[in-house]
Amino acid sequence: MTATAAKMKGQAERFRLPGIAGIGFAGLLFVVLLLVNVYLNPERFLPHSWGTLIGLAAPLISAALASTPAILSGRGGLDVSIGPLMGFVNAIVVTIIIAKWGLAGPVAVWVAAIVIGAAFGAFNGFLAAIVRIQPIVATLGTYLVLAGLTTTIVPSPTGTIPSWFSGLSGAWSFIPLLVIGLLWFALTRTPYYTALMATGSEDRAAFTSGLNVTLIRFLAYLVGGVFAGIAGLSLTALIGSADPNIGETYTLLAISSVALGGVSLAGGRGGFIGATIGALDIFLLQSALIYFNVSTFILQTAYGAILVLAVASTAMQKSSGGRDL
Amino acid sequence: MRETDCCLEAEGIVLKAGRAPLTVRFRPGEIVGLAGLDGHGQEVFLEVLAGWRRPLAGEVRHSGRAGDAPRPIRNFRDAMRRGVAYLPRDRRRTGIFPALSILDNFAIASLNRDTRIGFISPRIRRERYSRFKDLLSIVADDPRRTITTLSGGNQQKVLLARLLVREPDVLLLNDPTRGVDVATRQLLYGVFKDLASKGMTIVILSSEIEEAIFLSSRVLVFRDSTLSAELSGVELDNDRVISAMFGRAA
Repeated sequence: MTATAAKMKGQAERFRLPGIAGIGFAGLLFVVLLLVNVYLNPERFLPHSWGTLIGLAAPLISAALASTPAILSGRGGLDVSIGPLMGFVNAIVVTIIIAKWGLAGPVAVWVAAIVIGAAFGAFNGFLAAIVRIQPIVATLGTYLVLAGLTTTIVPSPTGTIPSWFSGLSGAWSFIPLLVIGLLWFALTRTPYYTALMATGSEDRAAFTSGLNVTLIRFLAYLVGGVFAGIAGLSLTALIGSADPNIGETYTLLAISSVALGGVSLAGGRGGFIGATIGALDIFLLQSALIYFNVSTFILQTAYGAILVLAVASTAMQKSSGGRDL
Repeated sequence: MRETDCCLEAEGIVLKAGRAPLTVRFRPGEIVGLAGLDGHGQEVFLEVLAGWRRPLAGEVRHSGRAGDAPRPIRNFRDAMRRGVAYLPRDRRRTGIFPALSILDNFAIASLNRDTRIGFISPRIRRERYSRFKDLLSIVADDPRRTITTLSGGNQQKVLLARLLVREPDVLLLNDPTRGVDVATRQLLYGVFKDLASKGMTIVILSSEIEEAIFLSSRVLVFRDSTLSAELSGVELDNDRVISAMFGRAA
């Protein structure tokens, strides 16, 4: 009995090992950056400020998670419109749902964010999976449309949000992340997840197995859109108003986070834990460098350097570890 | 009634412009071999049967288990849904998912059968897998490891299990024993004969003449993208097949 248990445990470890190796660099970086941050600014990392801390990191983490499904779906799957979509949700929720229609309750705000996210996710999915425009081009189109709409609705920063909403960047900042996490966790337990990973890694074999590759890809964009809508709520809670300039910045950071977290841009490899750790790396790097009053230009350079390093190290890990053929 | 019912029929199929159309009926419980020199149309014909490829003319019709009237097969997914299973030749490129586990590779074509209120039950999946593991003698100690840890023969068994779990009534095999060891071949032959004896229609394309003759009750020999000979019974021997392959009258 114990022998079999030990054997099973051994097999489980062997089975899990590649997953950890895949996020090895990002995980290591996370630990190092966390220690550096705690050393520089211990006050920020005490339990009573966790809510605020998570609130600061939440938009980036959710943006990274929103980018992940499209990337997992393979064949160049990529959604660059995530950032502007967050910005658009921010603008609509603050200026129209809350200010114009006076629907300031959580239900209306959440429903609006999710519906807007789903609609644009579906639009991206339609262009990329059904019309089969190259995803980067299709979602770049959506990016420009959304950025334009947002600046039309909100030419300059404006508006306020009710106190329950600000709470989503304070004590309750974990809620949007938890919602995304639970939705994704539920999804990984459905047949859809296996189908998504299969399609992302080998779409010809997926077709041969009778999977509806087009529908699977379409749904990946839809799910990403829903998560982007929720990410828009975290963003709104954090900035407390409607701002036309912030959303767009999240696109590149989110894709960097995902790549850093070991999610293969070729599709079918990686997952939410990797994407989260990648986003945390970027966030911690940001907060350490801001502590030293480094200019934002240098900050960008640092992101770029870390990203190149991470992707290179993942590539080297794969070639030395013998890619499973 | 079922015995006489045809479950797959190809009518007036033209594989290449200007070639004679072919009409073939496949009955339940028979194994039909396809032979020919490489590139002489037998593979294209098999892909046409699978709905994978559209012929220049003609159509493939299939009648389901219930014995309903034969309806044309529209495309590959339509064929699969209706119980026509196709095992492709290129295992590496169109068969296995190297990144996924043995279990996922097995279950990928029948994902909805493992679910309970929409969520996957690992227990049901493992049980389904273990049935086929025994049936096909798949040698694998831990089904959660990636499929690439298996030998070629065992990978092929997993792919076959993937199709069989859907309980097809027609099984189209494109050179199923390529790159498979001798012991596994013998086992697969046994499985094919057993499935046919239970009423499944099997069409097997083989690059080895002996294999096609050993398994099949009928062998269709292709030459220049059309049928060169249909051999069965006492006529079915090596020399005649080879003669037909080269277009000589036997």
